Amino acid sequence: MLLRSLVVVCALFAPLVFAAPEIGQPAPAFTAIDSNGKAVKLSDFKDKHVVLEWTNNKCPFVKKHYSGGNMQGLQTFAHEKGVVWLSVISSAPGKEGHVDGAGANALTKDRGASPSHVLLDESGAIGRLYEAKTTPHMFIVAPDGKLIYKGGIDSNASADPDDIADATPYVKVALTEALAGKPVTESSTRPYGCSIKYGS
Amino acid sequence: MSFPTRIIAVCAALLVTAAVDAGVVRAPHIEAELVAENTALKPGENRVALRLKPEAGWHTYWINPGDAGYATTLEWNLPTGFSASPMVWPHPELHTLGELTTYGYGAETLHRVVLTVPAGALPNQPVALEAKAKWLVCSEEVCIPGEAALKLTLPLSDAPTPDPRWAAAFADAREKTPKDADALKAEFSLSGKQLLLKVEGLSAADAARAQFFPTASNLVDHSARQHLAFDDRTLRFTQDLSTYLPAAVPQTISGVLVVQDRDHSTAYSINAVPGEASPPSSPAPGLASQGLPLILGFALLGGLILNLMPCVFPVLSLKALALVETREASRAENRAQALAYTAGVVISCAAVASVLIGLRAGGEAIGWGFQLQSPVFVGLMVYLLFALGLALSGVAEFGAGLMNLGDALTRSRGLAGSFFTGVLALVVASPCTAPFMGTALGFALTQSAPVALLIFSTLGLGLALPFLLLGFFPRLAGFLPKPGAWMLRFRQWMAFPLYLSAVWLLWVLMRQTGADAAALTLIGLVLIAFALTVKQNILKWVALAAALTLLWVAAQKPTVESSDPQAWSPARVAELRAQGRTIFVDFTADWCLTCKVNERVVLHTEAVQAAFAKNKVAFLVADWTNPDEAIAQELSRFNRPGVPMYLVYVNGGEPKLLPQVLTPDIVISALEN
Repeated sequence: MLLRSLVVVCALFAPLVFAAPEIGQPAPAFTAIDSNGKAVKLSDFKDKHVVLEWTNNKCPFVKKHYSGGNMQGLQTFAHEKGVVWLSVISSAPGKEGHVDGAGANALTKDRGASPSHVLLDESGAIGRLYEAKTTPHMFIVAPDGKLIYKGGIDSNASADPDDIADATPYVKVALTEALAGKPVTESSTRPYGCSIKYGS
Repeated sequence: MSFPTRIIAVCAALLVTAAVDAGVVRAPHIEAELVAENTALKPGENRVALRLKPEAGWHTYWINPGDAGYATTLEWNLPTGFSASPMVWPHPELHTLGELTTYGYGAETLHRVVLTVPAGALPNQPVALEAKAKWLVCSEEVCIPGEAALKLTLPLSDAPTPDPRWAAAFADAREKTPKDADALKAEFSLSGKQLLLKVEGLSAADAARAQFFPTASNLVDHSARQHLAFDDRTLRFTQDLSTYLPAAVPQTISGVLVVQDRDHSTAYSINAVPGEASPPSSPAPGLASQGLPLILGFALLGGLILNLMPCVFPVLSLKALALVETREASRAENRAQALAYTAGVVISCAAVASVLIGLRAGGEAIGWGFQLQSPVFVGLMVYLLFALGLALSGVAEFGAGLMNLGDALTRSRGLAGSFFTGVLALVVASPCTAPFMGTALGFALTQSAPVALLIFSTLGLGLALPFLLLGFFPRLAGFLPKPGAWMLRFRQWMAFPLYLSAVWLLWVLMRQTGADAAALTLIGLVLIAFALTVKQNILKWVALAAALTLLWVAAQKPTVESSDPQAWSPARVAELRAQGRTIFVDFTADWCLTCKVNERVVLHTEAVQAAFAKNKVAFLVADWTNPDEAIAQELSRFNRPGVPMYLVYVNGGEPKLLPQVLTPDIVISALEN
């Protein structure tokens, strides 16, 4: 009796458990609306590699990778290899980097970017699901649906475009390894950038 | 110094100022500048610094920026032979942006550097120090990377003088620089998904509030709550690990521990080595749960030993005596009694644990025995142990209405009686720490709430175990001696450990509050004895209420000494009134109880002292402990037979007489009218 009430008390206090994205585990599933108003599911891209890129066009760290064409180059590389590229915008309405569908499409055009979809996540649900912290913050999902990379775009945590050249391009390296059927050597690196402007 | 030389000196100073001012770079939302501690450089070591001053609401970053941002950098371009040390980082502060946490500086900060000037440097030659600073300055909304080429030109001198403009800023930066804490022993281990850090050698006052800032950015989940427990000069700290923890576990964990004590903070530089629970090569989940059975064993054993502690044993021996008397009762009855008693112990133990866990979740660094930090609690324990002692000595009987708990002690009357005996056992046990308990509770406080509750409840179970067993195995009671006259003697002897426990707690109270409070509590004890002696219920209650009131007064710590106590004299009053000052005169005497109560619970409280400071009140004390003609005359002028008397002169105006019994509101509103 006493034991049973203890168990009940313990159960009441048990913290809610969220499935944090973990390398080697299935990537959290989601459904999102893209910039053209279309519903996009992660499971739509079974049998393909998927890159998730958290972005915010006003953020200096994002500008670092778009102004010199680094991010666009990576997107073209992915595109050619049949990799799906999803750019995710988790800025809440009224906060830095928030855009509507038309705004997102205009940005894609202006910057010469080539994502497969731009996902509008103004509620922050997908961002929180992936525990995305910064822009940029990158994830790679393998064709079997498992997460194989999470972390920074490269190894130089700065906002200076000149620092791109001598950085280790983690995402490019991971993608190349994965496409060659090899395990990803550095599968978890520190993300750097602006904080994601989530709503409360 | 002749007049012309003085002019030249002033001009030179102005020139230097101009040069330095020219060095201020005003970038968006931030000011950057190189500054030096002295107005000139000398051969050898010099202190210079990068000064960053973000606008209000903006901040720059520490060496580990946390979830976002990046650290400020400084690259020197120095004349040949000169060298500069890396920047010395003052301890950062925590910035929380929604679910993200960063570490940085939201106010003017000096990043100090030791600049070494070669011995052969030419005197009287101005030296240009150049450096490129890069930073990220962020508000809650926006981040702006910035950089500036900074320049500071200083003359060389053998005897440089401090630059008064930066003296305070350098002192502040030094104050905020983490101290190398050789005396502190720090160990870490990784357990499951948590970092456990243990820092030994802090003083209790040190750890009222603490924050750990790790140097590595991929060690902990910065936004996860830091759990702190302070026990026996040891700070135990846990935080969830980062999901970006590298596979190779670090051999040392460095960081900064900032402990907050009232409004003063001290930062220690921490280099933790792998500790007792040495980390496995990769964090293995479930390590903590493997250790749990052992810890539960310690908790049970600790609870069991608690039965023998001097504050508990006498009380429980009564329970045993009751058992001796009722051994003829039915088995079912015995079991029910034992279960009710166990429930009393375990439930009250869990209740204490819940309070403890709740307070700790609120950020308090407290451990077992936190109740004893409250003078009121200590005083109540003194009363309780004394009263129980008197009951055991047989000099007092608890009235049925007055103390049901005490009644339940001696006679097992009903299940409620047994339950409250259990509660009482836990209450009297709370000042004690038995062997093994420390380990178990120290561990409990680093764990999640359910685990901590489980450990505390197991401790309660240990405490209740002897009687639980007696209830279920009545044959064990056969080992108890037969009832007889020895029981009375035994009871009387058992009173003495209780008296000694009361003395110990009284000593604790005296250390906490002082001789005055101890004296008040002793008077309270006399009142308790009185309450147990008189027959009329009304008198019992009055005496008890008076004892509790005394305790409450005793516990009002004089938080602050009166700001500026000056001796009263009519001349001093006249002088201050001429200046238009607001004056408060306290006519008092050491033998005047009302005066002392007013001083303790009103005048020396923070609220009243703050009001005094705000209104720049001159606080005058007219002490009538010894005869004084001037004071006597002043008292009779206001038709008062004696002290206390309180006068307020607002802005030097006419005196206003305050009541003899003060409240903070009376005093504060009198000042502000």
